[in-house]
Amino acid sequence: MDVIHSLLIPILDLQLLGLIALGTFAGIYVGAIPGLSVTMAVSILISFTFSWDVYPALALMIGIYMGGVYGGSRTAILLNIPGAPAAIATALDGYPMAQKGQAGEAIGIVTVVSFIGGFIGIFALAVFAPLLADFAIRFQPRDYFLLGVLGILLVGSLSGESLVKGIFAGALGIGLGAVGMDPLTFTERFTFGTDGLRAGVSFVAVMIGMFGISEGLMQLHTVNTPAVKQKIGRIIPSWLMVRKHLPLGLQTSTIGTVIGALPGTGGDIAALIAYDHATRVTKNPEVPFGKGAIEGLVAPETANNAAVGGAFIPMLTLGIPGDAVTAIMIGALFIHGLNPGPMLMVEQPDMFWFIVSALGLANVFMLIFGLTGIKAFVKIVEMPRAILLPVILLLSIVGAYAVSNSLNDVYWMLGFGVFGYFMKLYGYPLGPVILGVILSRLLDDNWRRAIISDQESLWLLLKGTLMSPLSLVLFASVVLIFVSKTPLWGMIFRKRAA
Amino acid sequence: MQTKEPRRPGELVFNIAMVLGSLILLWSAYGISGFEAMSAPGAIPMVTTAAMVICGGLILWETLKKSSATDEKLERDILPLPVVVTIALIAAYSLLLKPLGFIPTSLLFLTVMIRYLAQSSWLRAVLLSLAIVAVIYMIFRVVFTVLMPPGIVPEAEIIAWAKGLFAGKGN
Repeated sequence: MDVIHSLLIPILDLQLLGLIALGTFAGIYVGAIPGLSVTMAVSILISFTFSWDVYPALALMIGIYMGGVYGGSRTAILLNIPGAPAAIATALDGYPMAQKGQAGEAIGIVTVVSFIGGFIGIFALAVFAPLLADFAIRFQPRDYFLLGVLGILLVGSLSGESLVKGIFAGALGIGLGAVGMDPLTFTERFTFGTDGLRAGVSFVAVMIGMFGISEGLMQLHTVNTPAVKQKIGRIIPSWLMVRKHLPLGLQTSTIGTVIGALPGTGGDIAALIAYDHATRVTKNPEVPFGKGAIEGLVAPETANNAAVGGAFIPMLTLGIPGDAVTAIMIGALFIHGLNPGPMLMVEQPDMFWFIVSALGLANVFMLIFGLTGIKAFVKIVEMPRAILLPVILLLSIVGAYAVSNSLNDVYWMLGFGVFGYFMKLYGYPLGPVILGVILSRLLDDNWRRAIISDQESLWLLLKGTLMSPLSLVLFASVVLIFVSKTPLWGMIFRKRAA
Repeated sequence: MQTKEPRRPGELVFNIAMVLGSLILLWSAYGISGFEAMSAPGAIPMVTTAAMVICGGLILWETLKKSSATDEKLERDILPLPVVVTIALIAAYSLLLKPLGFIPTSLLFLTVMIRYLAQSSWLRAVLLSLAIVAVIYMIFRVVFTVLMPPGIVPEAEIIAWAKGLFAGKGN
């Protein structure tokens, strides 16, 4: 009964229902505008909603997340400019369809399969997260430590051009998270004797700087790129077409959920892997891949929306974000005094079921808004960036100030914004920095607990790791990621191939 | 591992700065608790900053191996004028926010940015900025209840006057 009651909270509360609808609607717009990422939107929003109750704040963010992941496909199809990284694969076949005058058909099928993918991801969240949480209660501190390291390595290796740059960015994030007073011994860390650093660096300011300002600055390189106008025809796809591609959609939704559930990965990686899967399993597509194949739309779009539900699994069960957006949402939960992890599921199951229900509703709203009002969306993406960018920058400044009504946070935001801009220019991924900041405390606490329980002996810690099946799998995964990015890996496989 | 991509303008300087910054942070991390114990407060900071130094060194090595022959230019591809102007305007906004207040500073910021980026006429830039600031103010001040510095604008009095007006006590 409690589960049903929690599931009904956002449905029966008109304010929450309205916020989910508003968030989804806004998310589709944010996702559809190239240069505006969902991560940017949610990171700015967190500072405006932290004075709210947790349910309305989450309702709005969940709507934006779900709508934004889908919205990126709009410009990928219409302009060949993916609105979000998760829609990169969608452009490969979506734009050729638009060039043939089938933009409406492409948008229609993308909307329906995104809904299917989203539903499967949410279903997996509802079924597997409680099971994983039960299991996670038995995790040792060393397992949490290894999971944190694994998450940073995964996002570092998959989202950037090199693992070394990913590790650098992740380590920087962990260091940033350590700034201030150590909560166990009250020792100052990285404060350089200044009072302003004793309270630590506001991670919201870091996030807004890294994802809001730096992205805004990057967009200035192409500020005068003219928008391309497209005509939209038939939108709602036929049931026959949907049924024909349903088996592939179910496979790629599963891929999306699993990839999304891996700590540190997200919809962009899920979409690319799903696209690759579709090219291998589809023997005779009606239209070749890259020239307007429907399968090339079904695979990435089911996967990236399924990854949304998947990303919440490690976030809610282990306290480890599935991607950058869930990293920010963990920050939002911290602000509201909640501690995501296995105990959240035990102590506040209503919160979990609320999130499941809100995601489900956002998915339904995405279908409704996606199939209607397409012409309005087309108009919005034609809005000049020279007007849009100053507004985003202004919102970023206001957002950073609103964290604690402090100009210091605005300076931090600007500093990290400029720094993040240079990091982007020179190929450093930003995701691991945020993940590092969020996971810093978890890594530090669990490392210290683990090593103290093993009497400060690295040998005992290693022995314990090798004796526990879970720790061993996590440790092996960490080693595997390392080795796979070294020349040693290439040498082994070249020898085998020879 | 030879990379084919040439070195971008400023990339070498940035990576040298990263290594130097990492070394300073490693020194600072060592100062927290030295090699006192593996559970000491400085243990994780030392490991992470050491990782930064090692990775920074490897990145710098790769950068040095890259060819410096590139068509890119620092002032066109890395720091074009719109980026420099925008950073300067955000910094100016941060400095003026407290003394001038949210409304005038935002109006100034948006007007200059729109005029500069969109090449709009001053009148159009001012009108657009007014409309945008009005919408942002309504949403964030009223819906999100975000408190912004009032500065030179007697915000509280205006709001009280407007409330009175709707209550029929305008004068």
